[in-house]
Amino acid sequence: MWLRIGAIVLWVLVIGIAAWEIMPWFEIRRWAAIEQRMFQNMMAGALRGIQANDPGAIWTLCSATAAYGFFHALGPGHGKVLIGGAALASDATLKRLSILTVLSSLAQAATAIFLVGALYFLLQIGSADLANITETWLAPASYAAIAAIGAVLIFRGVRSWYSMSQAKQITDACFGHTHGPSVNDVATLTSTHDAVALIVSIALRPCTGALFVLVIAARFDAFAVGCLAVITMGLGTAAFNLIIATSSVVARQLAGLSARDYQGLQVISATLHLTGGILIVTISIGMLLPYLA
Amino acid sequence: MSHKLWGFIIVMMCLGEPAKAHPHVFVDARTGFIFGTDGLLEALHISWTYDEFTTLILFESLNLDPDGDGQLNDADRAAIIDGETKWSHTYKGDVYLEFAGQDYPLGRPEAAAVRLNGNQVEVSFDLPLLQPVRIDNAPVFLRLYDPFYYYAYSIVPPIAHANLPEDCQVQILSFEPSAAESTLQEKLAALGREDIPALENIGRLFSDEVQLTCG
Repeated sequence: MWLRIGAIVLWVLVIGIAAWEIMPWFEIRRWAAIEQRMFQNMMAGALRGIQANDPGAIWTLCSATAAYGFFHALGPGHGKVLIGGAALASDATLKRLSILTVLSSLAQAATAIFLVGALYFLLQIGSADLANITETWLAPASYAAIAAIGAVLIFRGVRSWYSMSQAKQITDACFGHTHGPSVNDVATLTSTHDAVALIVSIALRPCTGALFVLVIAARFDAFAVGCLAVITMGLGTAAFNLIIATSSVVARQLAGLSARDYQGLQVISATLHLTGGILIVTISIGMLLPYLA
Repeated sequence: MSHKLWGFIIVMMCLGEPAKAHPHVFVDARTGFIFGTDGLLEALHISWTYDEFTTLILFESLNLDPDGDGQLNDADRAAIIDGETKWSHTYKGDVYLEFAGQDYPLGRPEAAAVRLNGNQVEVSFDLPLLQPVRIDNAPVFLRLYDPFYYYAYSIVPPIAHANLPEDCQVQILSFEPSAAESTLQEKLAALGREDIPALENIGRLFSDEVQLTCG
């Protein structure tokens, strides 16, 4: 049994790594950086326009931040690993996943607004320290939370495999009466507390770019405009993460096609939990490592 | 097999290191080599032109230009120089000089200056070599990179060429994805010998470099 799990998980990982290798990451990353730089400059121009009371600047700013959010999300990190891995493991519908994705990006924007509101205005903490706090404390906290969710997925996958093997023994003993666990035993993201955990772990760490937009807007006495711009930035990020969530759901459904019966579905669900979990844990620990060193 | 696989995953994670962070600060860097009268390489000249957004952040974080005329006064310039060139002991300015295959030790910034080019701040300074060194036909490499990729440096041609000795040549080699990828493959191949590549040098795979040769 364990050999079989190991073989399947190993196999899926190998395929995943091969797929990862085929992708022209260097070109993608370089292209994303060039685009991000362009939109970052556009944001700067729009912010100066706001300082100069240019009425059109607010629209330029919001479209620039939305595009920035999208291209920024193209880089590795943030919530997309979690969204992708959890979407792979979960039984949640695409609609529910989409709502979760948008909510997590908006919550991330809200964290930025709250941080700047509380620390910058009330405690008079400067933007450099604000960015430091984010990078030093919130980023690793978020990675740790995301790794923990990955661990929960692995645990659920393993538990499901274990109970299936138990059920099989019982079935054998009872001459064909099935006492298998229901698929609900391994359902992920369908409960409220799963959804909250996902949103919080992503929202823990605001985007540094969002903090800067808010701080500069505040300096130009346009904090409200900054808030609006950060919300559109969140929507841009959500747009990218929606692509990831959709791909994961499609991958999950493709995997589901190979299931011939109920038990087959369960095997696949458990395996996807393990795969998604291992993916999330590996990548988030990789992101956490520099902080531990 | 599984040992190799884990090794592979670890290497992917390590190699992914510079790609993990998002670049937030974009720097157009210009470089120069300063030779003494005795023909030895004495110092590097480095200039960083920050993107417009980072320039705004700099204005905000250092509280520059309080009168809002868009110009820098002497106090503003002093504040920028202070923030940009008074490095902590662990920070080496993201400047790496490779001489005979080794990181060559560099000093602290000298002769720092600040300019505003349109909407972009430019900081420049000289970085002395701890020991002046004679350059022969073995190339010396100058690389600018942030191991965490928070700062994305691109090396652009200098506006005016410094006075190089006659037999010296400078060439900017822009980052080539295929070259980085082949180095990555070599490192992966080395895994068979159970080597995990050193973390700290990964960033250079992704950086532009300036090659100096003399003679």
